[in-house]
Parts: sequence; C-alpha cells; structure tokens
Amino acid sequence: MKYFIVILIILSSGCTTVVIDEYMRSNGKLIDGDSIVILGRRHSSEYETEPDLVDCVGAELNNSSFNVKVIPEKVFVNALYPWFEPRMAPLHLKSLDKLMDIPSVRERMANYGVKYIIWIDGFTETTDSAGSIGCSIGTAGAGCFGFGTWDKESDYEAVVWDFHDKELSGKISADAKGTSYMPAIVVPIPLIARVQKNACKGMAIQLQNFLKPKSTS
Amino acid sequence: MRIIIEKLIFSIKLIVIITTILVTSCSNSIVIDSDFPQPVGKIYPITAGLIFNDAFKNFIHHENQDDRDEWTINTGLAQQKMFNVVLDTMFDETVNLTKFPDPIPKNIDILIVPEILEFQFTMPRETSVNIFEVWIKYNVHTYNKQGESIAEWIITAYGKTPTAFLKSEGNALKEAVKIALRDAGATLYSGFYNVPGIQNFIISKQRENSIKKPESLIVDSNPQ
Repeated sequence: MKYFIVILIILSSGCTTVVIDEYMRSNGKLIDGDSIVILGRRHSSEYETEPDLVDCVGAELNNSSFNVKVIPEKVFVNALYPWFEPRMAPLHLKSLDKLMDIPSVRERMANYGVKYIIWIDGFTETTDSAGSIGCSIGTAGAGCFGFGTWDKESDYEAVVWDFHDKELSGKISADAKGTSYMPAIVVPIPLIARVQKNACKGMAIQLQNFLKPKSTS
Repeated sequence: MRIIIEKLIFSIKLIVIITTILVTSCSNSIVIDSDFPQPVGKIYPITAGLIFNDAFKNFIHHENQDDRDEWTINTGLAQQKMFNVVLDTMFDETVNLTKFPDPIPKNIDILIVPEILEFQFTMPRETSVNIFEVWIKYNVHTYNKQGESIAEWIITAYGKTPTAFLKSEGNALKEAVKIALRDAGATLYSGFYNVPGIQNFIISKQRENSIKKPESLIVDSNPQ
C-alpha cells in the first residue's frame, strides 16, 4: 500500500525545471530576530505579481533555521497605507528615501524594524496547451475520454533593498518551466507540474542563503 | 418497465438541474464590503463636512449586455466606508451631514460631496491579459463655508486582480473592486493638496489661522 501511494504521488505531478540567477552587490547582514518584508510589484498594466507567490516565499522563509521575522505583505501595506499601494509604491531607493521624510511613515517603519525590503516582480502564465477531453453524462452513467497537456512558465525577479543603508543589495531571478498532463479514461487523472510553487521554493532557498549566509546564522 | 420509468425520471431531474445551473450562471450579483486602513501622514487642521447622498450610499452597478453575463455590483457601503476612513484621518475633525446644509454650520471649513460618475470592469476572456480589471471614476465636489465651489476634483481609481485557480469570477471581481477603492483612497489622501482650488483654499486657511504648514504639504505626496 505504501509503495502504491509513493508511486501515485510521483506519478501525479508533472516535471518542472527551475533556473535561479543571482546578482549580489553586498553580503546579507541579517542576524537572528531581524525583520524583513516581501512585497509584490503591481504597477504593470499587463500582469499582476500573484499575492499567492508573495505569501509562498514569505511562508518558505518563515522557518526556524532562518530565524528571521517575515512581516506579512498585507499587514505591512495596511500599516503604511497608502504609501505602498500599487500607484504609490516607491520604484527606486531615492523614492523610498523621500518617503522617509514623512515623520509618521519613518516612525512606523522604525517600529517594524525592517532591515530588508524584498520586491518580487513577475508572473506565471500558460504558454501552450494541446489535446482535448470529452465528457458525457447519460442514464447509464458518466465518463470522460481524451488527453490534455499544457505548459506553464514562471518568470520572477526579487530585488533586495537594504533599508538601513538605503542601497540595492542584490537581485535574484527565478525562471521555471513545466508541463502538466491530464489523461482521461473514464476518470480524468491530473498530473500537474507545480511551476509557481517550485519557482517560489527555489527563490526562497536562494534568498535565505543570500540574506543570511550560513557563517552568520 | 419499472426500470425504464425510473431512468426516465432520473433523466428529467438531471435536465432540470442542468438547466437551472445554466440559467442562474448567467446572472451574477456581488456586494462589496471591506474595511479600509487609516492613512499614515499628517492631518490637515481643518473641519470637513461630509455629505454622502443616497445615490452614493446605495450605488449599484447593473449591466446586462448581450456579449457578457448579467452583473449587479453593489459598492455603496464599501465606498462610503472608504471615504469615511480616509477623510476622518485626513482632517482634524469631520462631521457627517445628511444633506447640503443651509446655512453651513460655522465650525465647518470645507464641505465634501463625493459622486460616482462611472464604473467599468473587464473579465480576462474579454481582454488579452489574464486579469480582472475595474475602473471607478469619482467627482469630489468641494465647497467653502459660503457654499461656493472650491474645486470639482475628478478621481480615477483602478484595481486589478489575477485569475486564480478555483477562484470564482465573483470573488475575483470583488477583490479587484476592493483594490480600486483602496486606489481611490490613496489618490484622495495623497492628491488632495495638489488640486489647485483646494491648494489655494488651504493656503488661505493657513494664512487665516496663521498655522504652520502641515507636514504632508511639504512632502511630495507621490514620491516617484
């Protein structure tokens, strides 16, 4: 039974490849107990950085080995409303500096003790699909027959701002590709490639190593 | 014979259920209700009278076109909440009024009457992009204590949300409307001083009261 479940799990997921690139300008200086915030870029009119992806990276970084406080995006954006809304969020470090001229904003940021602001920009899309599945229902019963396949691609970039030193610390990009399959013989069996989830995991691991190199943890 | 009759009844029931689902799926109704955060920044040292008329408080966008499903979107309560929270935080004091007062109470410096001019939305299948989009256009009428118009301020708000697996169209649209309302609040708060008529009013009010320039007037409201 155990072997059957393991084989089922292996079979029930499609294949994904993830490529992570990193550009470092300075070493991460996080120590245990520091705070970071991960925010999604939402200024583009053609796509939207998914809140799920931002939450996922935050959740992956919120682990005991990292031991850093990750402020949830919604909590942070609400606490500093309206300055981090899509229309108003600082696109450059200079703009962030200017924003800090407002004493109440500066005070609130200080209360949070934010050391790094991480901006994630990008999206996941279905790039190709093929095949067809037909389902029918009748008095004798219901069933589906056919085969469907689709490709998904994720393209994300995380830009790390050092809030204390007001400088760009580095950039990490994650490109993931995967193909999902759905054969249907009476019952459709989805073999889903978890493209976005794998991009999130890859990015979180890289961010963790970047922000808190092993020697300082 | 009995089996045939049972199968026939089952088929009729199935047809009725499917027809009901198909008919109701063409008509959608959503009510937006959301809490909005208080803006962070300096407060304008003036007292504002807020008038939310019935058309604003009970605003419902209804659309029934041939090329899209029927939609009824109620934003009245949510937009009233948003204007209340933002304006309450923006000014020293706000007074909610039911109608345009005559005469205007002496303690009120400015009267604010928001009006919704337009509401539009698009679904992912209607555009090439995989997002739900909402546009709301407001006219914020402002009057001085003599009842004369200070400015007619047009605010255009925009909200979008990505399509998500297993998220209904109604929920996605609700999310986009909430983001559009937050956007309207952001413009209302940060752009208030940038409206020429309002700027002149605040400067003259400052001269009148010999008050210090508020912090939000010094800082660029949109630090791009």
